[in-house]
Amino acid sequence: MDTTQLLKGVLDLAVLAVVSERDGYGYDVVRRLRAAGLDDVGDASVYGTLRRLYSGGHLTSYVVPSEEGPHRKYYAVNDAGRALLDASTGTWRSFTDAMDKLLGAQGEEAS
Amino acid sequence: MNDTIDGEVARYATAVRAAFADLPGPERELLLEDLEDHLQEVAAEAGGPLTERLGRPEAYAAELRASAGLPAPAGTAGRRRGRPRLRGSRVARRLAGLRAAALGHPAGRAVAQFLPELRPAWWVLRGYLAVQAAAVAMTPLFAGGGLSFPLPELFGSQLLGLLAVVAAVVGSVALGRRGAASPWARWLVVTGNAVLAVVAVAIIAELGSSEAYDDYRPGYVTAYSLPADGLRADGKEISNIFPFDADGKPLQDVYLIDQDGDPVVATHHDNELLEPQVPMDRNGAEVPNRYPQAQQQLDQATGLRYPGPTPEFRPPPGPVRSP
Repeated sequence: MDTTQLLKGVLDLAVLAVVSERDGYGYDVVRRLRAAGLDDVGDASVYGTLRRLYSGGHLTSYVVPSEEGPHRKYYAVNDAGRALLDASTGTWRSFTDAMDKLLGAQGEEAS
Repeated sequence: MNDTIDGEVARYATAVRAAFADLPGPERELLLEDLEDHLQEVAAEAGGPLTERLGRPEAYAAELRASAGLPAPAGTAGRRRGRPRLRGSRVARRLAGLRAAALGHPAGRAVAQFLPELRPAWWVLRGYLAVQAAAVAMTPLFAGGGLSFPLPELFGSQLLGLLAVVAAVVGSVALGRRGAASPWARWLVVTGNAVLAVVAVAIIAELGSSEAYDDYRPGYVTAYSLPADGLRADGKEISNIFPFDADGKPLQDVYLIDQDGDPVVATHHDNELLEPQVPMDRNGAEVPNRYPQAQQQLDQATGLRYPGPTPEFRPPPGPVRSP
């Protein structure tokens, strides 16, 4: 199955989860998502998602100057972002439960 | 090696930016502000060309646009709402830099998001100003003279003025909602807006000085107020002081006091281009009259501060003796 289609629906949740774990800048978030196993995540999608969550008021941002290399814009989850993360996590769990049952009912033992 | 990476990043970034040409400047700047940094990082890390790692710039732009929740570009590249006149000029680049600096600050972003909401108010005001401008322009031709406020006087009649204001406001709002059809019409509207903004300032200035206004608020005088503290010389605010000794050697950690023994404290404002850092004592209390103070220079392009310059000392031409 094409995971890019699946990712589209849950990228907000994935990005919020990563940023709530630790503040991060754009490419850092991309790397951590990939390290977590979401190999197909697109750079541009992550950047766009960060921007949208930011303008939606779910993230705050601050610039960290660095000695060598570019000044980085870090994102952090605020209260609204945490609330969204909690709500989305709930939705995700009930969805996966339903899917698991559905797939289990068709005879495949979940391993 | 680095040159080729920079060139590749610049080409890729240009192509991505071109795909966002339809977005208003501030929105585009917010979306793309760390594009180059990202590309640099990817280029430095991964072997192979950027297009291999990120896909074609157009695809990257489309993905960014979709995930940011922006609508697809209106029409094709040929139908872009262009501002060909200014694009690429030095003025435009400088303005873009200032805008980016303003948007780098949360307060700047809040203002930028709020400003469009003021547009309808401006459309109404614009109609009124247009009639006032016309009325004032015709004033020398008719007796009475001067500014008629709040209602402009047309051909000596405030009723005509009122009718004209209503008509002009309706027209102005219609124009605002429809938008300018062609680049040429757009230029006309922008110029007209600028002229009317000047008219608005002129009216305010006129109101401030006219006797008619004073009749409404007798005894009310707005005095030009000087700041209660601070230091100025030759009409200029002094924000920092650099003492030098007789040999022209810069002195450090000098305390300045005035004729009464009170500390001499320079004028400080927040967010100046050149911001002195007030030294503190061991308890964290400010020692405002200790000079020179380290200067932090604001880089308007990035909104970040860096150590600022020390002004140069020009010694007097000949020997100096105390009287």
